Amino acid sequence: MKSARVLLIIPCYNEQKSIAALLKEISELYQEYNVLVIDDGSNDDTFRIAQTLSPTVRLLRNMGIGGAVQTGIKYAERYDYDFCVQIDGDGQHPPGQIFKLLEAHAKKPVEIIIGSRFLSNDTYRSTWVRRFGGQTIARVMNYLFADCQISDPTSGMRLMDRRAIRFFANHYPCDFPEPISLAWALRVGMDVHDVPVEMRARQHGQSTIVGIKPIAYMFRVLGYIFLARLKRTPLL
Amino acid sequence: MNTINTNTYFLIVFFTLAYFVFIARKTARQQLDLYDFVMLSMVAVIPATFTFWPNIAFWLADLAGVAFPFVIMFGTLFLVLFLFVYRLTVKMHKLEKDNLLLLQEVSILRLEISSNTDKIKT
Repeated sequence: MKSARVLLIIPCYNEQKSIAALLKEISELYQEYNVLVIDDGSNDDTFRIAQTLSPTVRLLRNMGIGGAVQTGIKYAERYDYDFCVQIDGDGQHPPGQIFKLLEAHAKKPVEIIIGSRFLSNDTYRSTWVRRFGGQTIARVMNYLFADCQISDPTSGMRLMDRRAIRFFANHYPCDFPEPISLAWALRVGMDVHDVPVEMRARQHGQSTIVGIKPIAYMFRVLGYIFLARLKRTPLL
Repeated sequence: MNTINTNTYFLIVFFTLAYFVFIARKTARQQLDLYDFVMLSMVAVIPATFTFWPNIAFWLADLAGVAFPFVIMFGTLFLVLFLFVYRLTVKMHKLEKDNLLLLQEVSILRLEISSNTDKIKT
């Protein structure tokens, strides 16, 4: 039987300190994953470093995480991949955990599988403000969408199957893409599950969502989620 | 009720003509489209209408229960302005989306070209 073709998409912005180690870690997995780095218009050496280790798309200007991820998804659609797995370029998502997403899909094929930080106790835990924001978004989504039991909607580690790839190649949010893309997918009738994965603390650099920003992020995301839920006609 | 004097008529006529010539030239040079021309011309058409037929403003003010007729004029102008801004916002978001799509396509194509070039070299 023909094995599934998997594309790992790694969006990154100014990740020159972590990208080489991450790509080396992936190459040591001995898995037949194809890797695509999407350099979101970095100002540092990210592109130069990534290019020597993996096929790398360099976006002509910074488009934000949503634009970068959608570029990878379009590439996956164009080259007819069975699965597309998104992981962050900052090294927070250990590539060794990707098999858990694929295993979960093999057990129960659904369109999107999220790697959740909150289902496993031994994983890296972010600040309480971020956890509170993420869990509130999860509760609201689980309430608004039938059969939705998501624990970590803001996780950037996720697997998408062909249907999700086709959908997201055409419709992907630019702002707050992780939770809103899930809301859009749920609205068009896709199934979303999550599996526990171990995550690490960011190896280098700092997150842009710090201080009380997670709370503002939460309210803005909730607004978009309500809008997605209210939309009468499916976006597909 | 009608307190508009001759000077006001001259001023409004002068402004309306000068403004129309200005935006008509911009439209002829394709710096504005016809829709923009119509919307922007309201800045002259509305005050001119209320100047030549002030009773309309009094009648509308009476109808709306507004004490001052000039509120009606500014309200009408604001309405047109909001419609114009709304249309511009929609247009801007569409352009932003098109721009994003183009950037993504160009970036992917660039990778494809460079990988094909590498294959040809080897």
